Amino acid sequence: MSENSANKEWEPKIVAIVCNWCTYAGADLAGISRIQYPPNVRIIRVPCTGRINPFYIVKALQEGADGVLVSGCHPGECHYISGNLVACRKFAMLKSFLNYIGIEGDRTMFTWVSASEGDRFAQVIRGVTTKVKALGPANKMVKKF
Amino acid sequence: MAHKNSQKRVKPEDRKKKVIGVVARGCTTRSLIIHLQERQYERDDVCIIGVPCDGYVDGKGLKVKIGGADIVEGTVDGGQLKMKTSDGDKTVALKDVLAECCLTCRFNNPIISDVMIGSPAPAMNPDAEYNDVKEFEAKSIEERWAYFIKEMEKCIRCNACRQACPSCYCPTCFVEQSQPQWVGIGEDKTDTQVFQFMRLYHMVGRCVDCGSCVSVCPMGVDLRKFLKKIDKDCFEMFSNRAGSSMEDMPPLGKYDEHHDKQDFIYNP
Repeated sequence: MSENSANKEWEPKIVAIVCNWCTYAGADLAGISRIQYPPNVRIIRVPCTGRINPFYIVKALQEGADGVLVSGCHPGECHYISGNLVACRKFAMLKSFLNYIGIEGDRTMFTWVSASEGDRFAQVIRGVTTKVKALGPANKMVKKF
Repeated sequence: MAHKNSQKRVKPEDRKKKVIGVVARGCTTRSLIIHLQERQYERDDVCIIGVPCDGYVDGKGLKVKIGGADIVEGTVDGGQLKMKTSDGDKTVALKDVLAECCLTCRFNNPIISDVMIGSPAPAMNPDAEYNDVKEFEAKSIEERWAYFIKEMEKCIRCNACRQACPSCYCPTCFVEQSQPQWVGIGEDKTDTQVFQFMRLYHMVGRCVDCGSCVSVCPMGVDLRKFLKKIDKDCFEMFSNRAGSSMEDMPPLGKYDEHHDKQDFIYNP
């Protein structure tokens, strides 16, 4: 595989952990509307962003993800009323702490995408992919298997 | 006979309540507040005997200071620490050998107590609390990462920091969990980094800066630099200081729709 991809441009692997009710539906809408977005993203669906253990993000980075995107409902629109707001606090701390130890802030991204924002979802993925691409392959805290 | 009694079933309402007395300095009362907020026991299960604190001596630093000699006995006299050591009598100024966390302590008097002993201790130097962190923040990202891996390479994962920490009491720690296995058990250095990172992250709103983890660490990992950052962030983002009052609940268990900072949210 590495031989084949040697002459190709490096493509980042991005793990997107998205909430079932908003962003996943938004991604669905992007698909239905046939909006193009980079195929670098691997989507993981969770019930709510509040369900995400910060360990998921650290683990994803350790196991070789070049970037992690977490996306949920806009504040006040959470299906479980406040899951995204609690998550927001967790992520604020996590992002700041990751940056403090020396892992680029752009590798962990947080955003809100609602179910009706298929276009925004595609934009977010485009934006994140560009940012992670600019950073290059992840080499910090990555486990060699 | 005693054994037979211990086997006898007692209805919960017939159980005799045991009150535990705790002699607590400032940071111990902060830990107690965290335990109470996390509902580990009731307030009337503990009787808190508060003592003012002038700071603890950093054992490792002291040992270096006196040239590695073994201390046989010691007394505090005024601001001086007088010791009988294997190298003869030695005297050092107390303020030179206090632990780092005690020098910049903000809560050296008990926050809650049932009984107070002694008069309140004079304030330490809390203004210098985050100096280390600010200095570290000013470094470049590569320097910070280099420092992090350098420190984590020392770690032998003996889990002493976890055992000593008053806030680490989960019945099953994530380190021992095998489904899912959060942390690999091999000697891979990224596993150590992830372990340390997650243990530090678990201290959000819970680290009382008691210095236990630093003092028990056999390898001298500079944990405080990272713990203090969490403390600083917590104060800046949620204006919360771990265990500073019974009313101020843990920051990650609540939210404030209108005032929580959202500037880190990505907007394409």
